[in-house]
Amino acid sequence: MPRNLFLVGALALWCGHASAADFCPTVADSQNFGLQYQLQGAQQGNLQLLRSHAQTAYYNPDNGVGEWWDFKQASHPNFYRVFSQQQRRIDYYTGDLRTLNIHVSQTEIESFAANNLRQQLTLVGDGACADSQRYQGDYQGVHYELLWSNSLQLPLSLSTRRNDRTQQWQATAVLSGEQVTQQLQQWQQFTDTDYADIGDNETDPFLAQMINQGFVEHSEHAVYNSQGQPLQGAHQH
Amino acid sequence: MKTLPHVQAAIATAIAAAFVCHSANAAVLPESQSQSSWYTAGAEAVAAKVATARNSGTAKNVILFVGDGMGVSTLTAARIFQGQAAGNTGEENRLSFENFPYSALSKTYSVNQQTPDSAPTMTAMVTGVKTEDGMLSVSADAIRGNCLSSQGHELKTALEYAEEAGKSTGIISTARLTHATPAATYAHTPERNWEADSDMPAEALANGCHDIAYQMVMEAPGDGLEVALGGGRGYFLPNTVVDGEGRNGRRADGKDLTSAWTTNYSNAAYVWNKAEFDAVDTASVDHLLGLFESSHMQYEADRADDVGGEPSLAEMTNKAIDLLAKNDKGYFLMVEAGRIDHAHHAGNAARALQDTVALSDAVQAAMDKVDMSNTLIIVTADHSHTFTIAGYPARGNPILGLVHAPDDEQIDTNPTLAADGLPYTTLGYTNGPGAKTGAREDLSAIDTTEVNFLQQAQVPLSSETHAAEDVAIYAAGPGAYLFQGSVEQNVIFHVINQAAALGATKY
Repeated sequence: MPRNLFLVGALALWCGHASAADFCPTVADSQNFGLQYQLQGAQQGNLQLLRSHAQTAYYNPDNGVGEWWDFKQASHPNFYRVFSQQQRRIDYYTGDLRTLNIHVSQTEIESFAANNLRQQLTLVGDGACADSQRYQGDYQGVHYELLWSNSLQLPLSLSTRRNDRTQQWQATAVLSGEQVTQQLQQWQQFTDTDYADIGDNETDPFLAQMINQGFVEHSEHAVYNSQGQPLQGAHQH
Repeated sequence: MKTLPHVQAAIATAIAAAFVCHSANAAVLPESQSQSSWYTAGAEAVAAKVATARNSGTAKNVILFVGDGMGVSTLTAARIFQGQAAGNTGEENRLSFENFPYSALSKTYSVNQQTPDSAPTMTAMVTGVKTEDGMLSVSADAIRGNCLSSQGHELKTALEYAEEAGKSTGIISTARLTHATPAATYAHTPERNWEADSDMPAEALANGCHDIAYQMVMEAPGDGLEVALGGGRGYFLPNTVVDGEGRNGRRADGKDLTSAWTTNYSNAAYVWNKAEFDAVDTASVDHLLGLFESSHMQYEADRADDVGGEPSLAEMTNKAIDLLAKNDKGYFLMVEAGRIDHAHHAGNAARALQDTVALSDAVQAAMDKVDMSNTLIIVTADHSHTFTIAGYPARGNPILGLVHAPDDEQIDTNPTLAADGLPYTTLGYTNGPGAKTGAREDLSAIDTTEVNFLQQAQVPLSSETHAAEDVAIYAAGPGAYLFQGSVEQNVIFHVINQAAALGATKY
């Protein structure tokens, strides 16, 4: 649903093609790699997209919070939230996702929530990087500039402008497949709790904080919107 | 609304007795009262009570049904939900076990908490002793999460006594079989979260405590459980194994307890999906393990969409009774609707009510199969939730809908508005994820009957909490009459012990 992309009204900045063209990632295995994005403009921060075959994760290295999807069973994806500082993981099962009204698109998750958006924009030409294309256009009051990698099926640069507020996601580094694998393996070792069990663990300080302060539910705290799709810049708390 | 209240078929046998009382009173009553269907139905209900013969015999079989988090408001809402689903106004409906002849209220507090969790409450029900929160069938002398402190303070359970008496035993849960409620029947641990060895701290491992899954398979009482059906597959599998639904096992000790189950027992079977479950021949299988999910089983609302397929609670109950009833000495079976609690924690009334109806169906399945003259059936809850039924909705107003007041004998087409000018639902929570900071959401254009709708709440919490009010106990069969009035939750064990002559003590 493209409307989800526009929930983040604060994002909108066109910084020009020059910076986007400066970084042209080379990936050895397009099914096992990561991209580091930097957010510039009214909000600032970093976000890593990690891909390992059917698994895609978004990790904010600034606060150590990640959201991890596994689409091996495409109609019943596994979803986890990871908290690196506490070395904890929350596992969400199908029923949990439904009660939270989270219905995700694998394509959107894997494309930085840009695949559907791309189809709303106009192709304006090839980008500076090999196998990249530039798109632009207006949608629901937001102006978009997108530099899209055909080989990675991901944005290399995504800029938005709404009124005078501007924002840009810029790919800045490649993470190797080995780094991605290590990261996912590390998260696999974290102490895990089923989302359904949180309410029965009020004596656990970490979970009690979740119960009382409410950062477990899907919200603007995460890198996704309430539909489980990634928000540009929503990793700020 | 002038719908005749539901009348039990069994009541017909007692109408003559009722008529005597009725006639005596009718002489001084106006016809509008004496001829009222409410009046006559009420009189017939009393007559049925008078005619009910107390069964003080010994219970050969005991089935304990537990609705996790199934407070009284959940029962009321679920009966209306079920009745409305059948096309009726709903309020007059009765869940299967609401027709049981005996009931009591159960006080659920634990040794250390006014509002308990499932661990001490189930411990109370199956050992006769209250303990502290988080601990399973060990006494309050232990310290939660400390293995050494728990040793020597294990409490013997009704299931263990039943095994000693030569009966067959079984557990069923839509939650993990290692979750607090089922685990309290067979395991002894100072920490409910020690479900697999990977969940245990060094102190516990060093001092010889074993995880709950291990206890279920490797340290089972007597000749072992005959039936264990539910969720929690991952806790029985090594972390090097990916199960049939794509989930990793979580055991660090490398043990495959599903394999151990079939090795340890003769005529044993392990199944993990609906097709395998359906294929089980109870005549030839004596020990059945079914683990249908890596963690909890699906909510009833989502069950049909499961990857591997899952049996319903009623189907599991049916199969279990077929297998357990092969023992001439009888059986003890615990059946938990474990996900009522989870749906409430999520603030999602629709799923909680559907799972409650599923429990009612399972009780009905048991009633249809067993001989009630020698089988004690108890239906109760471990604790309540902050779930409320509020406002002044008209009779027959959709239980999941907005409050619409009566309008003569119709229902007002406009919803009732609160002081903030907004409509509100009949069902709500005192706390939970449905609360908003600031103004309430306008529900005028929202379909509040949709299964994923989260009811509004007052206090914002990510997870709705348990509540402390009493829960109900319903009972039928030998010894059921012992449930009367208000009782401590641990009395449930003592009734089972007395009714089934388990030998825990003499009365």
